Parts: sequence; C-alpha cells; structure tokens
Amino acid sequence: MSQAAGHHAILDPTLAPPFPQAALNVLRNPQLRKNVTHAIDVIQGKRARLVAEKTDWQELRSTASAIRTHALENLGFYLEQFEARCTAAGGHVHWAADADEARRIILDLLRQENASEVIKIKTMTSAEIQLNTFLEAQGISAFETDLAEIILQLGDEEPSHIVVPALHINRSQVREIFARRMGLKNLSDDPQALTAAARRYLRQKFLTIPTAISGANFLIAETGSVAVVESEGNGRMCLTLPRTMITLAGIEKVLPRFEDLEVMLQMLARSATGERMNPYTSLWTGVTPGDGPQNFHVVLLDNGRSSILSSPKQRQTLKCIRCAACMNACPVYRQTGGHAYGSVYPGPIGAILTPQLMHMQHAQSLPYASSLCGACYEVCPVKINIPEVLLELRAQVTDQERKQAVRFFDPMYLGLRIANLLFARAWIFHAAQRLGRIGARVVTRKDGWIHSLPSVGGKWTQTRDLRGLPSQTFHEWWAARGKEAK
Amino acid sequence: MSAPAQSQQSTSRERILDRIRAATQPSTAAASSYATLPRNYIHKGALNADARVNLLIERLREYDAEVIEATPEGLPAAIAAQLAASGKRSFVAPAGLPADWMAPGFDWKIDRGLTTAEIEQADGVVTAAFCAVADSGTIVLHHSLAEGRRVLTLLPDWHLCILRASQVVERLPEYFDRCLQPPALVTWVSGPSATADIEMTRIKGVHGPRFLHVIVVHDQDAPATNSN
Repeated sequence: MSQAAGHHAILDPTLAPPFPQAALNVLRNPQLRKNVTHAIDVIQGKRARLVAEKTDWQELRSTASAIRTHALENLGFYLEQFEARCTAAGGHVHWAADADEARRIILDLLRQENASEVIKIKTMTSAEIQLNTFLEAQGISAFETDLAEIILQLGDEEPSHIVVPALHINRSQVREIFARRMGLKNLSDDPQALTAAARRYLRQKFLTIPTAISGANFLIAETGSVAVVESEGNGRMCLTLPRTMITLAGIEKVLPRFEDLEVMLQMLARSATGERMNPYTSLWTGVTPGDGPQNFHVVLLDNGRSSILSSPKQRQTLKCIRCAACMNACPVYRQTGGHAYGSVYPGPIGAILTPQLMHMQHAQSLPYASSLCGACYEVCPVKINIPEVLLELRAQVTDQERKQAVRFFDPMYLGLRIANLLFARAWIFHAAQRLGRIGARVVTRKDGWIHSLPSVGGKWTQTRDLRGLPSQTFHEWWAARGKEAK
Repeated sequence: MSAPAQSQQSTSRERILDRIRAATQPSTAAASSYATLPRNYIHKGALNADARVNLLIERLREYDAEVIEATPEGLPAAIAAQLAASGKRSFVAPAGLPADWMAPGFDWKIDRGLTTAEIEQADGVVTAAFCAVADSGTIVLHHSLAEGRRVLTLLPDWHLCILRASQVVERLPEYFDRCLQPPALVTWVSGPSATADIEMTRIKGVHGPRFLHVIVVHDQDAPATNSN
C-alpha cells in the first residue's frame, strides 16, 4: 500500500494552487469532464424525482435546519452529554484540538493494539487530517473498504466528491486499476464484475484485521450513540467484526436526541444519492456485550470548527450533514469537478468550509469559486445559506488584502481608490467623464464597441465586449434640453 | 495512554469546550429551547393497513428484494418453500427464532455463541425484525433474540426476514413513536447491499447479504399500533 502514501498535496489547502489555476486541469481534460457530468446528471435526476414525491420536504428542511442550529447553539452542553452517555455505555471519548492531536491519539490507540493494519469505513474527516498518509509513515497500513475509496487508494487517486469520491473515474479506468493492483488480468469492465472483485479483495481483510476506523454521520447526545450511513455493508463489517473500533468525528456532528434521526434519515439519502433510503444505516451505543467491538473509542475533532461558531452568520456552515447535494447542483462544480477546490471538501460547501477551517489563512480563492446563483442553498436539506456565507468570506478576504502593504500598488485597488475619489464630488465626476470620453476614443473600435481594455481592465474584456461611451451623458442631454425649452 | 498524554487530553477537552462556550450562548436552557423547535412535517401516514403493506412490498421490490405474503398458519410452509427455492443447505438462526420457523430438512446452526467462521460458512440466515417502514422500504432490526446479533445478518449471503403486517408503519416517524426507549443497537436495512460508485450504476450485493427475501405475514386482526 506504499503507493497510497504522500499524495494528498493537491487536496491540502496549505499547498493547493488557487481555484482558477487548479480548475484549468479539469477544464482541459474532456474525459474527466464527461465522467463528472455523467455521474452528476444521474444523481440529480434521481434526487429531483424522490424529493418531489416527498410532499413535506420543505417542512422537513425547516425542522432539520432548526435541529442543527439548536445543536450548534448548545454545542458544549450536547458534547458533554454525549461524552457522559457514551462513557457510561462503555465507550472512551477523546478530544483532539487539531489534526495533529487527532492523529497522535489514533496512533496511540493503534499502538496499544499492536496493530500493523487497520480497516476503514469511508470518512471525510480522516481525509481532512490526512490520516492514511500519517499511519503509512508510522508503519501501519490503512485499508479503505468503501468501493470508491478502494478505487482511489489502489489507483493512487484523490477524492473529488464527498459522497461518490471516485465519480471522476469511469469503468474502464477502474478496470485498469483493479487489474493492475489485484493482479486480475482477465477482469472485464462490467461494474458487476468490478464490484465482485472488490468483494473478494476485502473479504479476508474484514475477517482477520481486528482494528477498524470509522467516521460518524451523527452523534446522539441523549444516548451517547453513533450512527453511520452507508450502502455496501463494508461499514457494517468494520462496525461488527473487529475487536477495536475507533470513530473519528467532527465536534459539530452531534444531534440532541435519537428521534432527531426521523428527520435526518428522511433527507440524507434522498439528498445524497437520490434513494428513498440508503441500504444500511447502523447505530450503536458504547459497547454491547457479545455483539461487535468490545473496545470502542470516539475521537472528537475540533481542528478549526469551534472558531467558526463565533459568527452566527458563518456558524451555519457547521450545520452540514455532508450529503453533497450542493456540489451536485452547482454549475461551477459541474464544470471543474472536485479537485480544483484543493481540499477534501469540494463544491459550494467546500468553498465556505475550507477557508474557515484554515482560519482564512489559505484557500482564499474559494469564496470566489461561485456564481452566487443560489442553487446550493435551494437543495440544501439543512438550509445552509451558502451564498450568504460566501459573500461574508469575500468581504473578509478583501479586508485582509487591504491591510497588506503590497496592495497599495495593486492596479485593482489603486483603481478602486481613484474611483472612490471620482465619485465623491460631482464636479470631479463630470470632469472625469469628459476625460474618459477622450480616452475611450483610443480603445473604441469603428463598430462602436470596446473589445479590449489595457491593464486590469483586460481581464474583464477577455470574455466580454463593452459598448463605447456615448458622446453625451444623460445629465448633459437633460441640461441642454432644458435650455432649448426656454 | 501515558500520563503526559492524559493531561494533554484534559487540556484539549477544556480548551475546546472553552472555545465553544465563548462562541455560543450558555446552554442552561437547551432542553426548553429544544421543545420549541418547529416540527410541521408529516408524522403519521394516511394509508389503511392493506395499502401500507402493499406500499412496503412495492418499495422493497424496487430495491430488488424478493417479497412473498403468507397467512399466520401458512408461515412455516412459506419459510420452507423459500429455503428450498434458494437451493441453499446450511442456515444460521438467532437464539430466539421460533422453533417452527426452522424448517426441517436443512442444516440449522442456532447462534448461542457461534464463531465468526461458523457464521461465514452458513449459506443463509432467517430472522424476525422489529419494524418496517413502508415509505422507504426499510426493515429495522433492534437485534433482539429473534433478530440476532449484528454479524448474523451480515456475513451470510442470503437473508430471509419475517415481518408481521402489524409491524409495518407507513412513515419513518411512526417507527420512532414505537421506540418506547432509544435502542442501543439499530440496523436500518433498505434492500440488499448495493453500490453505485462506478458510474452511478446501481450494483446489487457488495459486502452485506446479496439476497434479501421478505415474508410478510398477514396478522390483520392485530391492531396496527400494537407492535410487539
């Protein structure tokens, strides 16, 4: 599994190139765009049909949003309650302030088990803290068990979606990866055959590796239970067969009560994969004698989340239940795919989550990776107003940039400062208009259009034409008309 | 964990909770504000008992589950017919499975602490269920004695689940109403295991049972609200 190590650089927000630059890779790869578009069209179609059949969808959304908001407003209370109930049921709860601490806690637990191998249920949170790479460096092989994650791990690829992470890879590419890495020369590219190959590849691992790592879809404060939503049964294998189970969960995953699942489970699968319900959802509470792992740990990960809480407008980011409906609906994601976002969280939710998790130090191009069309807000099952947060973050990026000395000479900022000056006084403005008309003559072509502007304006005219300035402004025309009337 | 690591742990716990408390309201009133959350979605379905069962059957079949119906008297024979049609020989049964569900003529292993290998070797498993939700075609297992440990309905490739019509609710919230106390273990099963990870093509059967069979027993005289 050595190939799995060390390759998350393109999804590491501290290293990834800015969005417009990263997006070019996909825009220039027609096969990748075709794969992404196909997958998204299928999910979108199924989702639309199943959401339409749910006549109380908007009421469910309102409740889901209210429950998540309430849980975040009272997060300290519910986390402590979860910790107490989980511990009482035989689980062990650990707190990790950042990625580094979470990795060390997990490594300690694995060392106590003398584990050299570990099986994993798909968890975006472990990808966020780059756990596999870390474990590999410590001599522990982490085997992904979700089909898409196996494809990525064996193919040395990066996830490009949070629900179907390998949607950018088509069947013949999967066939090539499996044939090469599993030594199956005669494998066909029929998804049925590919799936069967994955089943055989993992069966012995499920039966023999005694330690597993999972994420969590929900933590239930009232009971100390954890819920995992999946399709294939690899999750159930990891949750049932090993001796030791380690669950890594973001602190925001908590729901107050068991019955809150009646809302979340009606929305999650419909929003995520366009199914009425995903094949398997598992819920467990600490340790159950005679059933499943007898050694159970939960690692609660902060890693920037608590800092998002302080602004009520930005706090809604943490309501997310990771259904990916926003990226499926996003016209930008549809064109660029997931890798351009430079984070394991792509799409509109990634565009607001990643910069905030990075304390606005990295990924500052992401809040601009949106046309603000609002499709993401419309499909979000917990009503995260993503455009509102995007605008908030854009304002913060601008505020930060303004403070940098180098910005003083930036043509755009210079231009805006001059504009500020011009608009402040009417006489300056009118003088500037007259001057502008003279200047515009240079760039206006015979057809009356401006096709290219110098300097920063050039970026704008790259994709647009601008009508040349008229010989007279409305003000001038009005004033002249008044004189004529007299 | 070593002593320094433990003190590090308690500091991180306090640090995280302090940051959360500084960013949010004090949580003394969490319970009362929870009670005021809007819940205007549909709680109870409107279908009668027959329509409810028919909806469940339709939804299960959409997931590629095999469904047949039986009368209470005809159940043992229906089970025997399903087992025979499966072409399989060896079955595991949860410790609390009714004796007359274990059709004669097959190899039965009753789970009184079977090893993982013994369960893995079985061709199939027969269980009861706690409840089923028609709207989403979901079977809910609470892993009682008649439903079996979680591993029992996971490793065998073939699962036959016996449901009584009175256990069928129309909508998910009605299942939660039936949980007088939150259960410690739940598995919500909606069809055989499946994936759509390759080009969004739904493939039946990955790691969980590839074949899900359901027998719905028409115990219509029992009131629909009486679950167990």
